[in-house]
This record gives sequence, structure tokens and C-alpha cells, in this order.
Amino acid sequence: MAPEASTSTSHRSVEVLVSKLRRRQVVGSREAALETVKVLRQVVSRAKFSNIDQLVGLIRSIGKRLVDAQPKEHTVGNTVRKILHHIREEYNTATKGTATVGSSSRAVFSIANFVLQGQPRKHTVAQRSEVTTSIRENDPDDPDSFAKTLKPVLMEAIQDVLDELETVYDNVSKNAKDHIHSDEIILTIGHSKTVEAFLKSAAHYHSYTVIVAETSPSYSGHEMARNLSSAGISTFLVPDSSIYAIMSRVNKVILGAHAILANGGMFAITGSLLASSAARVHSVPIVVCAGQFKITPLWNLYHEFGALDFADPSSVLGFEEGVLVEREVEVLNPYYDYVSPEMVDVFITNDGDHPPSSIYRLIKETYDDEDHEL
Amino acid sequence: MPPKSSTGKEKDLGGEEEVLQAVILADSFNKRFRPLTVSKPRCLLPVCNATLLEWTFESLALAGVQEIFVVCRSFPEQVKAAIQDSKWSKPASGIKIVPIITSKQTFTPGDAMRDIYTHSIITSDFVLVMGDLVSNVRIDEVVRIHKERRKTNKDAIMTMVVKESGVSHRTRSKGDSSVFVLDAHTSECLHYEPIIGVPPTKHIRIPREILAEHPEVQIRNDLIDCMIDVCSVEVPSLFQDNFDYGDIRRDFVSGVLSSDLLMKNIHCYVAQEGYAARVADTRSYDAVSKDILSRWTFPLVPDDNHPSGHLYEHLRGNKYIAKDNTVSLSRTCKINSNSLIGSHTSIAAGATITSSVIGQRCTIGADVVLHNAYIFDDTTIGAGSVIKQSIIASKVEVGEGSVIERGSLVGDKVVLGKNARLGPFERVSRRKEDVLKELGEDGEDLEEDEDSEDEWEEVEKPHDHGEHLDQENAPGILGEGSNGIVWPQGPPEDDEDADEVERFDNQRLMRLGDTASDLEQSDDEDDDSSAYSDSDTETDASSFRPFSHTSSRSSFSLHSSTFEAASSSLHGLSDAAAEQEFRNELKQSVKRAFEENHSLDNAAVELKTLRMASNGKLRTVREVVVEAVVEKMTIVEGDAQGQRKEIAEVVDRWGELIDRIGGVDHEETIEILQHHCAKSARLPLFGQILATLYQEDLVDEDDIRAWHTKPEAKGEGKHPKHGATLEGIKHCWSVGGKMIEQFNAQESSDEDSDEESEDE
Repeated sequence: MAPEASTSTSHRSVEVLVSKLRRRQVVGSREAALETVKVLRQVVSRAKFSNIDQLVGLIRSIGKRLVDAQPKEHTVGNTVRKILHHIREEYNTATKGTATVGSSSRAVFSIANFVLQGQPRKHTVAQRSEVTTSIRENDPDDPDSFAKTLKPVLMEAIQDVLDELETVYDNVSKNAKDHIHSDEIILTIGHSKTVEAFLKSAAHYHSYTVIVAETSPSYSGHEMARNLSSAGISTFLVPDSSIYAIMSRVNKVILGAHAILANGGMFAITGSLLASSAARVHSVPIVVCAGQFKITPLWNLYHEFGALDFADPSSVLGFEEGVLVEREVEVLNPYYDYVSPEMVDVFITNDGDHPPSSIYRLIKETYDDEDHEL
Repeated sequence: MPPKSSTGKEKDLGGEEEVLQAVILADSFNKRFRPLTVSKPRCLLPVCNATLLEWTFESLALAGVQEIFVVCRSFPEQVKAAIQDSKWSKPASGIKIVPIITSKQTFTPGDAMRDIYTHSIITSDFVLVMGDLVSNVRIDEVVRIHKERRKTNKDAIMTMVVKESGVSHRTRSKGDSSVFVLDAHTSECLHYEPIIGVPPTKHIRIPREILAEHPEVQIRNDLIDCMIDVCSVEVPSLFQDNFDYGDIRRDFVSGVLSSDLLMKNIHCYVAQEGYAARVADTRSYDAVSKDILSRWTFPLVPDDNHPSGHLYEHLRGNKYIAKDNTVSLSRTCKINSNSLIGSHTSIAAGATITSSVIGQRCTIGADVVLHNAYIFDDTTIGAGSVIKQSIIASKVEVGEGSVIERGSLVGDKVVLGKNARLGPFERVSRRKEDVLKELGEDGEDLEEDEDSEDEWEEVEKPHDHGEHLDQENAPGILGEGSNGIVWPQGPPEDDEDADEVERFDNQRLMRLGDTASDLEQSDDEDDDSSAYSDSDTETDASSFRPFSHTSSRSSFSLHSSTFEAASSSLHGLSDAAAEQEFRNELKQSVKRAFEENHSLDNAAVELKTLRMASNGKLRTVREVVVEAVVEKMTIVEGDAQGQRKEIAEVVDRWGELIDRIGGVDHEETIEILQHHCAKSARLPLFGQILATLYQEDLVDEDDIRAWHTKPEAKGEGKHPKHGATLEGIKHCWSVGGKMIEQFNAQESSDEDSDEESEDE
């Protein structure tokens, strides 16, 4: 197969995902992440490269296209970064014998670069696999040899990312019984699949009550309440306006997240800020359930408005209200709220429980620094 | 019949693989955007910095359309080039776009449809849209519903997408709207009535049969017709058959619905969710731009899925600024809400921009005020200018200190001098020579159609009505050194000849910035518009409402129903006479066909035309044909074999005509045959004829059974004075009974049935 043909076919799947993201035919952070992994797996399996930089360059360029297509689905970029991280890791392992001697000697422990090099897993992995055949890059006789030897491990690494995404709900909720106790009253908002799995898992061990806010204007709380009550959990559905009023009786607020930012803040479904603020007033702990793939190496640099995502106003004000529309009543329908790190008590991820203040360390561990800007 | 339906089923099974096709009629077939469209087709005008064609492509891509045919008439080279350059022609887009160029003689959408028919490119159900659509409606859902419906009802040829909006809405055209009469349950469109704004439409006429046939009817005046039609393959051929169909709505839909010959149904899909609108005129240009900026079209919004692929950043108050850091905004300029600024544009100090769209590479001078203005690419606005509610096309230079009042349109590459003063609704373009010269350079064919020739003449000839001054005085308006000419205002001379919709007064309602408060309109929304729209949605058959406040509320209902009831007896008399005449003519025609041995096709066409000409009933035609065919058979005495042969010959030659008169109803055929035989000397032949018809597949076993169970077939309910006829009817019924017995006994041998019936 000619190299042009292979790149064009792989680009085809990239283009398809780009237009799907642009048209919002792929929505939801997990969905977007899964699609991204699948596309990248296809790209890597077909790619022709004779050294690691070519491969990394290819993935980065595709990643940039995907992120530009829909900058508000942060998990797309996260997945690309994570795959890049895995690829480098595998590459380092494979070429350990020849290349990494110098770099490991460079790793002197000092408080100054403690954070910078803080990738503990890299070391352990590197030590484990001592026996590897050396791989020759840029072999002029056989340019494909590098790709051929490395590809199987890379595919495995990508498969790991995929598996992690597929099991994320189970892994997040495996410790649910330690967070929710009997006879507690839990408040949640919107329909987050992670939260749903978390609550259902805890219901196996304890009996407790969930209050679901209906979460206008999407009213996704309705579905959440239906799912929970069909799982045998005692569930109340309340309008958003009564969140503050019932907060004094609530033991814990459990929220889902759309994206977790590097400072420990998060984007979550509209109404989350309302619920969090009410919970702060009553000093009710706020627990956020999210997969690790939602952790994003971004800060909310802009003012709080610009980073959010606005949907069409029709679910707030009907299009048929012609007179109001004509007078240019400004109708806003944000998808997400920005919840600042001070509000959140703990993030429960498939990688353990973390306070907002240590999210930056998770980012260090999961992604490589050079990939923060794709 | 049976083989046909089976192929249809196979097609449906293979539906997954089928390519969804769409046809875009990229020409406006009117001149509402003049003079912006003198050197550019309308579909290439930008809305929020993407051409209308791109918005349309994106709307269709959203629905999963895979193959698009773009029918273009004016400036086809430009359209082709635009398609070539766009991201859609890349192989990765997954959409195949084929431009089709029609001749300059294509004046209406109907002509374009005929052109599509002759190209024979349509292979299955397709989506028909105009080249000015902005929509996020799930058209694929509509297509699915349409196909579902087609499985059970072959005659459902079209599904129109309409959007619920309320009577008064900025996106709903006042000058060109429509009332839909829908069946509440099946959403079949029963009647279509176009509404124009001026002169006001005060009454609509709804045929009485509709109310008789449908228990629940909705009469809706609150729908935006977005001209998205899901059509079956037959639609282009219907246009081909009816060469006078011009407009898709006013001619085609009205024609199909009012014709009882075609027997086709059109359905509506009332879109509750989603947005769909057309940029059909300058007013809707304004409305759709505003709708896009206030995100009604989500996810088709500038910062998310801009059809041209530009990247914009969305700021508080629905402000969109190009994201690539090329926009230079002065520290003291003021950008107010609902504005969009394209890349490489610079805005100087003190400029105020409100609800405006500015293209790419524009230069806005100091202290400029833009209010509801639409500025296309590469335009320069001189310092201190004020532009209100106007469209300024691309590469225009507006001199310093100019004032452009509401509703003005400034064409491509016009230069306005310093202190130009354009009054409201002024239209400015370059001179004809300049425009033509440039088009010539671009390799366009200079063949201007006669129409625009006239138009230019009118523009260029000196005119001086009112304060309007001729060209020599133009510098006063257009400023020193301008290359523009002012187009005449007011109605054109041939206004009376124009189509009702296109007349000047009505067009005013579609003009940007025109409040048209001095005109009396349909849908006047003065005092109680809310109560008005409330009662609008669920109007049932009994409560009609007038469509304007200016007419009294009850006049409509009283008028049409009581008047018609009172005069129905009168009508009855004349109807009977007309029917008799119609019957005679039919008889003549059939007789001639028999004598001159016409082909079946010709005979059928002749009968159909006759029926259309005299608006006759289908049943009458069937009666005449059946009678004629039966009478054609000569009675052969005492020779059963010969008799059978004679019948078979006649039925073989002419029998099919019965099914070719414009509708098929086998039960009725048998019934007519029975009644005719009952009165005729050919009564004994009934059984044989029926058997032959059955053999020739002109009637089915089921039809015979169905007929037999009807009380009329037994002769019940007949007046006793038709004693002899009644006998005949009863005789025929019992013959039919025998036949059914035979069916039951699984002895479908026709010879037997013949002998059986002869024994009678």
C-alpha cells in the first residue's frame, strides 16, 4: 500500500470524527474519549514511521485537528495526551538498553525538580522490563523495521487506554460503599452515568435516600430519578428551586463532572454551581465522581463565561414566542457551570480519591508536559 | 400490480445501503436581493460570513445526506468554483456534490424540476431544498417517517417540513406565508392556501369535502414553511407531466391537493424541535442572521460549527470575534451584543457596533456607528460614517462622514464619496458596463437574459420622481468620485403584471428595515395578538376564524357554509345537466376509440383530459367505460364456446381501459358491471364477463368477495319500482355467490364457473 493511500484512509476516519464532533453528533465526555481512542488506534495501526518523532508528530497533528473541531469536549485532547504518554513510555521501555542510561543518571532527587519529573510509574515500569531486544531507528535498509517491532506494543498500550475507558464506571464505584453510609440523604443533580453507577453500587451495601434535582432546562434529572428508583433506591425528584431549602437535611452532595481542570475546579452540568453554593452555606460535603480521563491540563484562564458552552435557547424560551424573540430578549442556555476548587471536597476517580489541591499531580503523572499544548 | 409492490419491498429492505440524495435549487428565481445579486448568485451571499450555499450544505450534512445536486442558473461558473473551493469537495467530507447547470430559460422552480427529470439522476426518495436554507432539523428523521409512510401508502409522494413559530415572528415572512389545513391524526396536508401580506388576505376557502371526510382538522397559520421537502421519485415526473407547474407550493402542492385525478397525498412534518428558515428576502436575511447569532441554530453557530470552517470565540452577550488573533480592536471601540467580527478586520477608536455582522478583512474607521448593519468581506467604512439596518456588499468603499439610512443595499465594489447621504431603502450598484466588464474578465458568458436587460435599462435611464434626482445630481447623494448609480425606488412600471407575491407593496414586507406601517396587512398584530395565537393552534373543523382583524370574525364561517348550503339545490340542477353532458361526451369518446381502434394509452389519455376539462366524477367515467365494454360484446345465441371467445376478445382488447382512467377500484367496477348488466340485455353474460375479468387480472378474488358482502350488491335499499332491475341485480348477486362458492371449494377452474353460471 502506498503511504499516501494509507494516510488518506486513516484521515478519512479522522475527518468523520471531526465532523461528528463539530455537529455535536458525538456528545458526552466518555463517548468523545472512546471515539478518539478508536480513531487513534486505527491511525497507529496503519501509520508508516521509521522513528518515534514521526509517530508522535502524526498523532499530535491529528489530535490538534480533533481538539480544534470541538474545543469544548476536553476529553478528546486528554485521550490524545494519554496515548502519547503511553507511546513514549513503551518506546522508552523498548529502547531502555541503549538510550535511557544517561537520562536515569540525570534523575537526581531535588526539591526543585521533584514536581517536574514526578512520574513515579515510569521508573517502576522501566525497571521491570530489563530484557528487551534493542530497536534500531531510522534503519536505512529497512525503514519499516522500527514500526514493525514497536507496533504490537503500541497497540497494546492503546488497548489499555480503551479498556480503562470501558471499565471506568466500575472502577470509580468500587469504593462507593465507603463513601455512602446507611440512612444518609444524598443530593445529586443531572444525569451522570458515573454518579448513577456509584449510587447503584453503594445501594448493594446500604439503604439510603437520594434526592435528585430535575436540572432544568435539560431535565436530565428525570431520567436519573427513574433509573435510580428502578434500581430500588428510595428517590425523590425535586425542582431546582428547592435545592437550597432542602440542603439542611442533606448529608452529602454527589456531582458528576464534564471536565476537571488543573487547579481542581471543574465544568459540570448547569445547576452544579447552584447546588454547590447551597451546600457550602450548609457546610455539606461535596463529592465529585469522575473518570480519570476527565482530568484536563487546562486552567480556567478566561473569565468564567468564555470557557463555557452555550446551547440553543429553545429549551428556555420557545421559538414560537415570536414577539419576545423579535424584541431581542437575550436568552442564554449554558451547558456547564464552572465550579471552583474551593467548593469541592474530594474527587473520586478510577485512580483513587484526591482532593482538588492534588489534581495537578495526577496531571503530571498521566500526561507528558510537552503535550499540554497540542 | 403485484410484481411492482414486491420490488418496492426489496428496495425497502435494502434501505440501509441506499444513498440519501438531495437537490438544492440554488437560484432564487426572483430579484429581491437586487442589486446585491447583479454580479453574484444569491446563494453565494454570505450570512454570518459563510455563504448561503455552505449553510445549506451543512444543514443537509447534518441530516446525513450523501449526494447533493446543486441546480444553478445564474452565474453557474461562480457556483461551481465555490463548490470546488469549499471543504465539501474534499474526498473526506463523505458527500458528493454535483452541480447541474440549467439554461437561462429556467424561470421557475418548476422548470428546474423538469430539468432534473430529464437528467434522470434521482434514484429514490430525495430531499428537495432551496439554496438558502439554514436548518438544524433532523431531516433524516423526516425521511425515515416518509419512507415508513410510503410502505403502507404508495400515494404519499411528498412530506413538507414546517416549523412551528407563532403568527408573528421575525423569521416568518409576512409577505409570503401560507395556511396549512392538516388532518390532526395523520398530519396529511389537506389544503394549502398561500397568503400574501398586501393586499391583505382576509378569507381562505376550504373545500367542503375536506371537512366531510376528516373528523378532526387543524387549520394552521403559525407555521414557517422552510421549503424542505422529502419527495418521492414521482415528483419530478409530475412536474414533467404538468408543464404549467411553476412554484412548488403555489402550483404543485395546490395542484396535487386539489386534483382528484392524481390521487396523491402530501404530508406535513411539523418540526417541534430544531430550527429551519430560509433567507428568501432581505428581511429574512436580517432575521436569520439574528437567529444564528442568538444561537437558535445550535449547533450551527459561529463558534461551534461554522460552515466555512472559521473559528470564532463566543463572548458574553453573543459577541463573536474571530479566534486567530488577527482582529484588531481599538481600546475605545465599543462592541455591543449580537455582533460578529471576521478575521483580519480592524476597528478604529470610538467605533460603536451593535447587532452587526462584519466580514473578513474589513476596515472600520474611527467613530463609525454600525447599527444592525451587515458588512461583507473586504469593505472599508470611512471615519465618522453611520450605517443603520443596511447591507453593504463586499469590496465597497464608503467615504468619510457618510450616512446610510435603514433598508439600503449597496452592491459589490461600489465606491461612495465623502459625506454620501443615502436615504432609506436606497439601492446602489455600479454601472452596467463596469459589472459586465468584470464578469467578462471572469470568463462568464455575457448572455444576459432579457429580463435583466430591461431592468438595467430602467435603472440607467434618467428618472426624476419626487426628490429623486437623475444621475447628474447623483454626487449629492453618493458623494464625490462615486462609481455607483442609484436604483429607482417605488413600484416598477410593470408591477401589475408581476406575480402577486412579487408586487412592490408586498415586497415591502420582505424588505430589510421596512416597518410597512402604512400598509394594511394580513396577520396585523395590533392589540390582542397573544389571544389570537393561542386559539390558533387547535382550531377544529367547526370554528373558522378570519385571518385578519380587519374583517369581522364570523363573516368567513357564515359566508362559506351557509351560502353554499342554500345554493346547493340550485347547484344540483345544473350539476345534473353538466353530468349528463359529460357522460355523453365520454360515450362519444369511447365509441370513437372503439371504432378507430385507438391504442389503450391514447384512449385513456383522452378520457382523463375529458374528465379534467369538465371536472367530472371518476365513477361516471368508470360507468361509461364499463357500459361501453359490455355493450361491445355481441351476443352469440346458443353457442357457449363462441360467446366465451367473444367476451375474452373484447376484454383482452379493452378491459384494461377500466383500470386506466385515473384510479383503480375493482369493487366499484364489479358493482357497476352488476348494475349495468341488470338493466341490459346482456344480463346472462354477467357471470362470464366477471370470470373473464378475473382471468385477465382486472378483478381479484378478494374484490369479488368484498363486493358480494356489500348490502347494495344484494339489491337492498333499492327503490321497489325498479322491479326488473332489482331482479337482475339479485340474479347477478347469486351468480357472484356461486363464484365465491367455487373459490371456497378451491376449484378455480374458470370453465367450470362458466358452465355453472350458464346453468343458471
